[in-house]
Order: sequence, then structure tokens, then C-alpha cells
Amino acid sequence: MNSIASRFASTSASAAISRDEEENQVAASMWGSTGGFGNLGQVGIPSFEIPRVPDPTNFLRMHTDDRNDPSCRIKIQHGTTTLAFRFQGGIIVAVDSRATAGSYIASGTVKKVIEINKYLLGTMAGGAADCQYWETYLGIQCRLHELRNRERISVAAASKYLSNLVYGYKGMGLSMGTMIAGWDKTGPALFYVDSDGQRLKGDLFSVGSGSTFAYGVLDAGYRWDLSEEEAQELGRRAIYAAGHRDAFSGNTVNLYHVKEDGWKFIGNYDVTTLHYEGPGNVPGAVPGGYGYDVRTEGLHSRGAATVA
Amino acid sequence: MSPSAQAPIRHDFNPYTENGGTILAIAGADFAVIAGDTRQSEGYNIQTRYAPKVFRLTDKAVLAVNGFAADGNMFVKKVKQRLEWYRHAHAKDMPLHAIARLIQTMLYAKRFFPYYVYNILGGIEEDGTGAVYSFDPVGSYEREACRAAGAAQSLVQPFLDNQIYFKNQQAAPGSPHPAHLPLNQVLALVTDSFTSATERHIEVGDGLEIYIVLAKGRNSNELESLKGVAEVTTASEAIATGERLFVLRRELKKD
Amino acid sequence: MNFSSHSTMNPMAWGNLREDAYPEPFGAYSHNQGVKPRADAFTDGVQRTQQPIVTGTSVLAIKYKDGIMMAADNLASYGSLARFKDIQRLHAVGDYTVIGAGGDMSDFQYLQQILDDLMVEEFAAEDGHPLGPAEIYEYLSQIMYGRRSKINPLWNSLLVGGFKDGKRFLGYVDLLGTTYTASTLATGYGAYIAQPLLRKAVEGREDTLTEEEAREIIKESMKVLYYRDARSLNKFQIATITEKGAVISESMSSETIWAFAEGIRGYGAQTS
Repeated sequence: MNSIASRFASTSASAAISRDEEENQVAASMWGSTGGFGNLGQVGIPSFEIPRVPDPTNFLRMHTDDRNDPSCRIKIQHGTTTLAFRFQGGIIVAVDSRATAGSYIASGTVKKVIEINKYLLGTMAGGAADCQYWETYLGIQCRLHELRNRERISVAAASKYLSNLVYGYKGMGLSMGTMIAGWDKTGPALFYVDSDGQRLKGDLFSVGSGSTFAYGVLDAGYRWDLSEEEAQELGRRAIYAAGHRDAFSGNTVNLYHVKEDGWKFIGNYDVTTLHYEGPGNVPGAVPGGYGYDVRTEGLHSRGAATVA
Repeated sequence: MSPSAQAPIRHDFNPYTENGGTILAIAGADFAVIAGDTRQSEGYNIQTRYAPKVFRLTDKAVLAVNGFAADGNMFVKKVKQRLEWYRHAHAKDMPLHAIARLIQTMLYAKRFFPYYVYNILGGIEEDGTGAVYSFDPVGSYEREACRAAGAAQSLVQPFLDNQIYFKNQQAAPGSPHPAHLPLNQVLALVTDSFTSATERHIEVGDGLEIYIVLAKGRNSNELESLKGVAEVTTASEAIATGERLFVLRRELKKD
Repeated sequence: MNFSSHSTMNPMAWGNLREDAYPEPFGAYSHNQGVKPRADAFTDGVQRTQQPIVTGTSVLAIKYKDGIMMAADNLASYGSLARFKDIQRLHAVGDYTVIGAGGDMSDFQYLQQILDDLMVEEFAAEDGHPLGPAEIYEYLSQIMYGRRSKINPLWNSLLVGGFKDGKRFLGYVDLLGTTYTASTLATGYGAYIAQPLLRKAVEGREDTLTEEEAREIIKESMKVLYYRDARSLNKFQIATITEKGAVISESMSSETIWAFAEGIRGYGAQTS
């Protein structure tokens, strides 16, 4: 059993004492010649302080879960749209950039694509810190794999590492729905991993509160044979649709393309600008706004200046 | 209904409270400004009119904390301790981006019993640019140009979005919006943010503490002419890298 | 619009007017209202203070010209019962510091033991660096925060007053580890009733108030508290911490006038 999970096995006095001893220890790696760099990568799994209550999971839920209790103090950011799909030319990864805490828009500039390394991308849905921290941690383990085995880790192995890792914390309140995308010996590979421990291989995924809207656009426009430009435009258009219809998604679109020589950042697009003006002069995009033009074309009420 | 007529309520101990106040930071091209009010409250009670929420970490890094004051003070204490260990090990101050990552791991280490603290880190990056990093209580973070947090976040952040990012503003033809504002304008925005938040939020007021970090070689002319400014640059000559740190204190309304 | 109901269900309501129409500092009333532990006391192996039992009420403290003046009454309540009327809630720690406690008295006695042990160590060390009020306050704050972090708090609100090396010190710390300093401080009901009086009398005059003036302010505040705080007692002590050291007075009382009660329905002997 996982050492942290085992702490929950008993609430007896002896268990309480063993918990006492594990906590608040200052590792040698915190000072001395490695001062400041901590001990990431040197030990199996970093250790976490657990509140000493009979039911720590319930404790965390009581103080942090704003879906059940909007007045709880520690708001964990929720709400997102992310997508990724495999196609003939690699993998497209597209996400929105909105973070919400209750009904407040906490940020409109969140980076929901985590650049694990030159060949691996992870997406962020659910708890922002959970995704950021564990995917960074995954990056460390992937690098160690390279150093030990003289070859890059496969996407399947990397995603399984993450999946097994978060499974160790199952039921403790982690919240992440992520897609791991990359290019390895087998070509483009895409996996969905979540904090329940589920891991799926697939060609097309969308995750988050706006995923249904994105799937609608994606399913209508997806083909394996998509050209690179068409694929990028599909990803962009799908996140725009979610940003437009889902209150918890929006602000901007971040678009990435994974190819044989690693991933490439394609661009950042404002959802409002996409609505009225479109993505501008980019390959694959039809001129004009995604939303405004199609709804107002030919209407008398539309401004005279734009009437042909 | 008398309490005894109700079903027994189990009075579980709640280890958290909320102590009000607001913090804010803005990054300039070659400076950073980090500010916070000094009121500490619980419910309708003002506990004290002077409890600092903004702390010098190094000459080029300043940390503002907001939320549960006891957690905030403990967190700052532990960050300072780690930075001191780093100084002993490496004979230099930790760079800003590294402090940001350190703060992430320290916050996440308490993922299952979080520090109820919103952190904003401001300072000068190794390339000489002004930077602001903002964190959620469990360590997710992002570099930004400006950020407000705390009780009056929802009053101050939209004002900053409008005045710093020029959100919903149309630039005059031929004169696009600047990417960075000059220091005197930023200081004016910070002061206005806090005087306005004081007017409309009961948990904000009493005093204002503004830390200003200047990149190496940047002139300090705008600051010399202001009253209430004190230089607090303190790094020893052996590890100083040229950044300068100032504090500006202002009164806020106390009602 | 609803200004008050948002958090009445919140178990966090301790000592907070916004949370509860009738705040009872330290939640002292609830233990004789049928609140029972889920099982017997040995179920969890270790007993924690989840609720205060024998409690003290307010502590007051102000800065004045020569140092710090503090006051607390001699009552320890058992719920609404005035159980012990001769306990001391002001306690000297070394030569420069006095602490005053509200809240659970057994937890306070535990703290006294710890601090007394610390002073014995101090005496034995004889290193020429005696602990001053700032150090004792820091130590106490770490104990309080440490215990709250173990979800096993010491159920107190404490004031630390001191004078050392020509400097006055006055600080607050409570069961959550929350700390702050100010020129006037009050715990429990004192925070609501006495603190406004203290601030009005002291703020801006910290360096000119004489001991006599300070004593008058403190006595007047203790009297006002006695009139309105049902868990208080008209028998209290005053401590001064100055250059001359820490002095805790004998118990004293205030002159009170209850004649007005005759005319108030519900206060006097009227039956209808």
C-alpha cells in the first residue's frame, strides 16, 4: 500500500504517533550543497502533510470544494475546455485560458498546455495546481528515464507513469483530467489520464466543462486526412465554440501542433476577436469572424458600412 | 427556538479563518511594485491597524501574502528560511523564477492541508525585467504583468485590467497602447486602487505599504521626489547584484 | 438581500459576531446542552480540546508612558456557572513579561507549566541573554500555531505584555495561531466592549499617559465589562510591566451602582 494511503488505515494512537515522526522532518537536501533545490527526483515520491483528523479527505473537501459549498474559503479553480486529436499530420492540442473560482473569473491568461519536454505536452483541466505540479514532476521522471535508458520515454509509458502516480492518491481529493500528447517511436500518440486513475489511448479527446461544445465541432469536422492547416483551424474553431457557449471557458485559445521533431506553439487567439474577425490571415482559416458574420450576413440591421 | 431544542450540533474545530485585506503587484519594464494594506480583521472586528502583508525576501524579490494571517506569517517565515539556506550554500541570492518554483513546491507540499494563503511574488528577473508571479493556495502559478488578490480582488482587478492591460479600451489611431507603464503612473494606479478599495470594502484600510524594486542601473529620480519613501536595500556587498529596494508608506482611511 | 445567514451553518462561528446573533466567546455554553461525543472518551485514544470547559473571559492591556498595563478578572466559569472565583488569569513569565489568558483554563495552566519550565531552563543556562517579551511571544505563538496545525488547539486567547531594554511590548495570540500587536488589546467580550473605550483613551497618547491615568482607564473598562458581560466578576487584578519589573496586584473591585435597575422591567423585582 502507498505510504500515504496507509496512514488512513488506522486512527489508533500508534498510527497517530507514527504520523508524528514522519512529519516536519528537514531533509538534508534542503540545505547544505543542494540548498534550495529540494529533493525532487532523488526520492520516490515527495511527502505531503496530512491533517490529523479522523477523515482527512472529508476535511479537505469541507474546506476546498466549492461545488458543494460556495462559501468555503479555499477556492480551487475549475472550468475549462481542452482538446487534442491525432491526425495524419501529427497531433493538435488546443485549450482555452480561463480560470474560474465560483462565478469570479480568476484569470483569463492561464497556460493550460504544460510543456513537459520538447516532445511531450500535457493539458490542464480540474485543479490547476494538481496538473501543473504533477506534470512538472512527470517531466523530471521522463528526463531521468532518458538518462538511465539512453532513449526517450514513450508516450504510453509517460502517461502510465502519471496514471499510476495519481492512482496512489485516489480518493484523497486530487482533481485532474489531462491529455498527454507526444511523438515517440510509434509515431504520434495520445492518452487521456484522470485523477480517478482512468487511462485511455485514443485519437480524439476533449476534457472539461466546455468539452461537449468542442466535441460538437470536432466530430463534425474531423477526418484522419485533415491537412495540417485544416487540423489547426478545427482545433481553434472547436475551442472558440466552447468559449462562446460555456460560461466557465473562454478568454483566449492556445494552439499547439505536435510533429515528428517535437511540438510547436502555433498561436494565441482572443475568443472575442475570433467571434467578430476570425483568426486573421492564417493558413486554413476562412476569412471573417466565426460567429458574427454568419449570424448577420444580409441583415438590414447590420451596420450600413458593412452592407455590400 | 432555543438551542437546546435543536438536534445536537458537533462543533468541529476549524483551523482556518479569514483576516481580510488586499494585496496587489504590477510589473514594469525594469521595475516591480508590490503593495498591500495593513489592516488585519476578523469578521467585523479590526484586530490591528498595522500588520504587514508585504515582505522583503531579497533585494530583488518581494512577497505579498493574503488570506489567513497565521498561515501567511508561517509561510513567509519558511520561505525566508529556505532562501537563507540557499544563500549559505551558494553565496548568492536565489533568482526570482526559482523562488517562484520554490513557493509552488512549498505550497503543494501542503496540498492535503493547505495554507489558506494567496501569494503574489514581485521583483526583478535575471534578465533585468520586472516580473509578477501569482499563486493559488495549493501552488498553481503564472507569470503576469499585474495581479490583485484578497478581499477587494474583485474591485481592484477589473480596474487594473482596464488601466494596465487597456481592456475594453480602443487605442487612438497611430498611438497604440504601451506595453509597460512608467513608474510614476504605476504608483498612482496603486494608490488609487487602495483608496478606492478602502472606500468600498470594509476589510481594507488603515495603512498602505508599497514596495518598489528597481532593476540594476535604473535611475531612482521618480522616487527621490516622493515623501515617505525609504530605501531598504540590504544585501551585503558580496552578493548584491545591483537591484535596489524601496518602501513607500501611505495612510488610508481608518473607518 | 441577506447579510447574515450565509454562514450560520458554518462550524467556524467561534467568537464572531457576524456568524451568530448571540456570540459566546469560547463557545462556553454548549457543553451542557446535550452535545455528546460520538462514543466514549477512549475511542480515539487521545483526548483533544474540541470545546472549552472551564473558561475565563476578557483580558485587557494598554501601552502607557512607563510600560504596559494589563487586567483580568478572577473568575473561571463552568458554562454559565460561576465555578471558581479566585483563579489568577495573569501570569508573570520571568522578570520582563506577563501573559493574560481567556478561554480554557486547563489549557492555560498547561501553557503556564511550559513557560515556567522554559524559565527554569533559562535560569540554568545563565548565558546572559534572558528571554524578553518578544521572544516569549514568538515561542507562545509557535506553540499555539503548532497545536492548531495538529487540529488539537489550546483553546485560549492570550495577551503578552512586557518591558525590556527600554522597550514596551504588547501582542495577541489565539487558538488559531493568529497574532497581532497594537497599543491597546482586548480578548473575548473585551474586544467588543472595552477595545473601543481603550482605543479612544490611549491611541496617540501612549507616550504621555501616566500610570494613574492608565489605571483609571483600565478600571473603568473593567467596570463596563462587569456591567454587561454575564461571564465576568467584579474582582480583578491589574499587572504593570515597567522598568521596575512585572508587578501583579492583589485582587480589587470597582464601585458599582445598580439603583437604575429598579426602574427597568426585567432587571429588578417586577413580576408582571
